[in-house]
Amino acid sequence: MTTVAERQPGTRFSAAARVRGWLRNTWGKPRFLVLITWAYILWSIVPVLIAVQFSFNATRSRTVWDSFSTRWYWGDSVDSVWHDPTLRHALVQTFKLAGADVLIAVPIGVMLALGLARWRGRGSGASNFIMLFPLVTPEIVMGVSLLLVFTELFTFIHTGTTAQILGHVTFSISFVVVIVRGRLFSIGRQYEEAAADLGASPFVALTRVLLPLLTPAIVASAAVVFAISADDFVISQWLSKGGETDTVPIRIYSATRAAPLPSVNAIATIMLVSTLLIVSAGFLAWRMLTSGERRTGRSAEDFGSAFNLS
Amino acid sequence: MARGEIELSKLRKEFADVTAVDGIDLHVPGGEFFSLLGPSGCGKTTTLRMIAGFEQPTSGQILLDGSDVAYTPPHHRNVNTVFQNYALFPHLNVFDNIAFGLRRAKRPKKEIRERVGQALELVQLSGYERRKSSQLSGGQQQRVALARALVLNPAVLLLDEPLGALDAKLRKVLQIELKALQQEIGITFLYVTHDQEEALTMSDRLAVMNGGHVEQVGAPQDVYEDPETLFVADFLGVSNLMDAHVVSSGPSACKVAVDGYELETRGTDLDLRGAARIVIRPERVGLEEHGAPSGPNRIPGMVERLVYVGSAVQVIVRAATGESLQALVQNTGQGIPWEQGTPVQVHLPSDAVRVLPAEKRAGESE
Repeated sequence: MTTVAERQPGTRFSAAARVRGWLRNTWGKPRFLVLITWAYILWSIVPVLIAVQFSFNATRSRTVWDSFSTRWYWGDSVDSVWHDPTLRHALVQTFKLAGADVLIAVPIGVMLALGLARWRGRGSGASNFIMLFPLVTPEIVMGVSLLLVFTELFTFIHTGTTAQILGHVTFSISFVVVIVRGRLFSIGRQYEEAAADLGASPFVALTRVLLPLLTPAIVASAAVVFAISADDFVISQWLSKGGETDTVPIRIYSATRAAPLPSVNAIATIMLVSTLLIVSAGFLAWRMLTSGERRTGRSAEDFGSAFNLS
Repeated sequence: MARGEIELSKLRKEFADVTAVDGIDLHVPGGEFFSLLGPSGCGKTTTLRMIAGFEQPTSGQILLDGSDVAYTPPHHRNVNTVFQNYALFPHLNVFDNIAFGLRRAKRPKKEIRERVGQALELVQLSGYERRKSSQLSGGQQQRVALARALVLNPAVLLLDEPLGALDAKLRKVLQIELKALQQEIGITFLYVTHDQEEALTMSDRLAVMNGGHVEQVGAPQDVYEDPETLFVADFLGVSNLMDAHVVSSGPSACKVAVDGYELETRGTDLDLRGAARIVIRPERVGLEEHGAPSGPNRIPGMVERLVYVGSAVQVIVRAATGESLQALVQNTGQGIPWEQGTPVQVHLPSDAVRVLPAEKRAGESE
């Protein structure tokens, strides 16, 4: 009502009333919500951008800006990411774990999702629920229990890379299952039935129809698994045997507690950029693969929903 | 020509808490266009899905050309399905969709190309091979689904409300095309629909289903003109139903009393006594001017409402018996001599009135 009154010439309103009217904007965009959204984006992104900026600082300071340099990436012959063996190993270890995690967790997760989605009857509800456990279990609890398992029960697996991969796979599978199962439900049974109707055995229907239709979800879940594995600190730390099995997050954590150099910012930036690249590649692949479906425009939402779980 | 004969015997399907199909028997000779007609939830789609093999019957037999296929998995049955939403594979183009079945049957490449070409010609979509299904209109998708099923030369084609998603005009066109196609290739079409007009215009014979049972089987005329149950009379088109009391019944004619007015009706083979219902189609109800010479089967009434529907005018008349009757008067351009409140005389021709046993309504006790 205010906005209508406002348009009448000759009426004067206080500044506060005018701001209120502008915010309310009854028939247009909800400006108040837009403001909140932008405030949040700024709040969350500015610290990251500052950290990235100081990775390019020419001096050893992480707080006082001097000039642009790539010294902390490769220029410094002792302390750059490239020349400091601990940082380099951490980077290699992180990508190794994330890659192995994707290669192991995605196939297992897809199979589990297929089984769970098509399993009707006793026990299916409970199993579906149990699948969500790793998503809600505090990571610290899972890390401790896995450490106990590897030090007391399966003592042939020592802490280190193998244990770390097993730990990452354990919590990654749930993400794959949830993403792939969501896609399975939205696909429905009709394509499988059509394939069977046209003479395809269940196995052929799976390989020729279901898997191609699931590809977007599989790609998306691979990107998610990579991102959460590279990001993981707690489980990597519990199952690390130190030295070369420390990952980037562990390195960053211990470095910041000692005397941090901008090389820490540099390695964090490398992680940020590579994770962003992987996730964007996953998103683009999802967009491309689902472009034939008339649900375009929802792809971002679908893909995004995969992340909301974490 | 006997290929494609379907025989269902005591076919039953129970889901966790409902009986979807309650022991139906049906015989469809090869080469017939047969429809299963009924409201949603009547079991028609479940019946079709059992014939296709997507559901396993709880009990009963499905004979396809004499052999029981009730426990044969769908990919080993010589039937193909056109799905309600077509279920065209979105990751394949038109050619690969149609070739899907032929490739599973491991036909040589050259034969696949020829047969897909022929199938596309049959549905008038030659030249669309490279399109994706998302680039096709609803009607075109429907044709691709049809070609994909027909290219395998099935003995029986199952169609699950294939025109349901299309607009009214296109539906009319495709109804005629489908019927012509069926006559051209001569295989059995089993057509599931809830649209009574669709079933009447296309079928050689049809079965009206309700609550998991078959209510009546027959040619469209028989089912429309001679409904055997109140449900059929009511479901197929608009019917006027009136409570009546049977005075005498016989195979050539019956006499009933409706609230003091005695009416002569068509004969019935059923032995009817006491309370019954009479049925008459709106297009058979005659309206005469008030004061016209009285005669048999005439009841006075008053025009309650006129509804203009274009090709005709629906006249709702409150009869002296208290019932409201619908009469359909063809629009001849002359206008209607009545308006709301005009007293008229309703003529119910004896050959248009049928007596049916009064069914207990659901919930009424014995």
